[in-house]
Amino acid sequence: MTADAHERARKLIALDSSEELSADQSSNAWLVAHLETCASCHAFAENVGETIRGLRAIPIAAERSLVSTTQMRVRRRALELQSQRERRWLVSVSCTAVALCALLSTVALWRGFEWLGTRAQLASSVWQVGFLVFCVMPALLVGILLLAKDKHLADHTGSYTG
Amino acid sequence: MAQESTEIARGLRRRDPDLLDRLIERYQHRLLRYLMCLTGRRELAEDLFQETWIRVLERGHQFNDKYAFGTWLFAVARNLVIDHMRRKQPASLDGLLNDGEAAFDVPATGQASAFDTTLQREQNEHIAAGMQHLPAEYREALVLRFQEGMSLDEIASVARVPLGTVKSRIYRGLSALEPWLKGAAL
Repeated sequence: MTADAHERARKLIALDSSEELSADQSSNAWLVAHLETCASCHAFAENVGETIRGLRAIPIAAERSLVSTTQMRVRRRALELQSQRERRWLVSVSCTAVALCALLSTVALWRGFEWLGTRAQLASSVWQVGFLVFCVMPALLVGILLLAKDKHLADHTGSYTG
Repeated sequence: MAQESTEIARGLRRRDPDLLDRLIERYQHRLLRYLMCLTGRRELAEDLFQETWIRVLERGHQFNDKYAFGTWLFAVARNLVIDHMRRKQPASLDGLLNDGEAAFDVPATGQASAFDTTLQREQNEHIAAGMQHLPAEYREALVLRFQEGMSLDEIASVARVPLGTVKSRIYRGLSALEPWLKGAAL
């Protein structure tokens, strides 16, 4: 009997234990015939059966406290995710509203500057520059104020360390 | 089963806490056993048990109701174990149980005190000890097949390996456990 035959038999035993080859009648018949003549493979088959029974009998149980702690953590996390989702929704609604307002006010301002320019009989480039300065002015002012604040803080801290 | 999977998928998309409570109850022992099989340590398995359910809550929308929930759950747990191991020791899962730590608590098997029960318990202890010495991928295949009763296809999708590899792992795992069983018989 070749080593390949034993190898094949052992593989069949392992997979047959997995109930995957029960439909393969020819392999089963060959295996039965082999087991009748081969003591070592027969012993292997018995050992595999014992091992599987042993594996199934190993009792590992989750404790009640683990389950309840997990359930509690999951519920808490679910609440966090829920509030995060609500916050995200609020932020996105606010952003949309701000964008819409900015768009509408820009159009209105543009028309306002155009009307003023026409009334004052100014060249269109003049009131357009005025419009740009008006739009950029808030951001410029805030930037200047922040820079001034930083400089003030740096000077103030410097006077302590120096 | 398909209808059940669809209901679970719907509940997971809603992040329904009651559904999750029921799922935790249902899979508690199976999931813990699987995690213990992969990690070999009860405390770590319990931590990962909790993390797995948090992950299920967060990624529940990814569950495809074409598959059984259990298969997806084990795959989530497996990924968490791999992430954990990569953080702790950037090697493969193979080295997991080589630190000699006690794994697989084997409590007393009921109150029957006959000789057979003692012998059986001893044998189980030997097999559990043998499991510790197997490479993680063999342990995983054996646990999923013989303790969880998964089909070879399901194991292949949990472990993300071809069917042939699963068969080979089961065969090699069983062969590797044989000396331990013989040790038990001595």
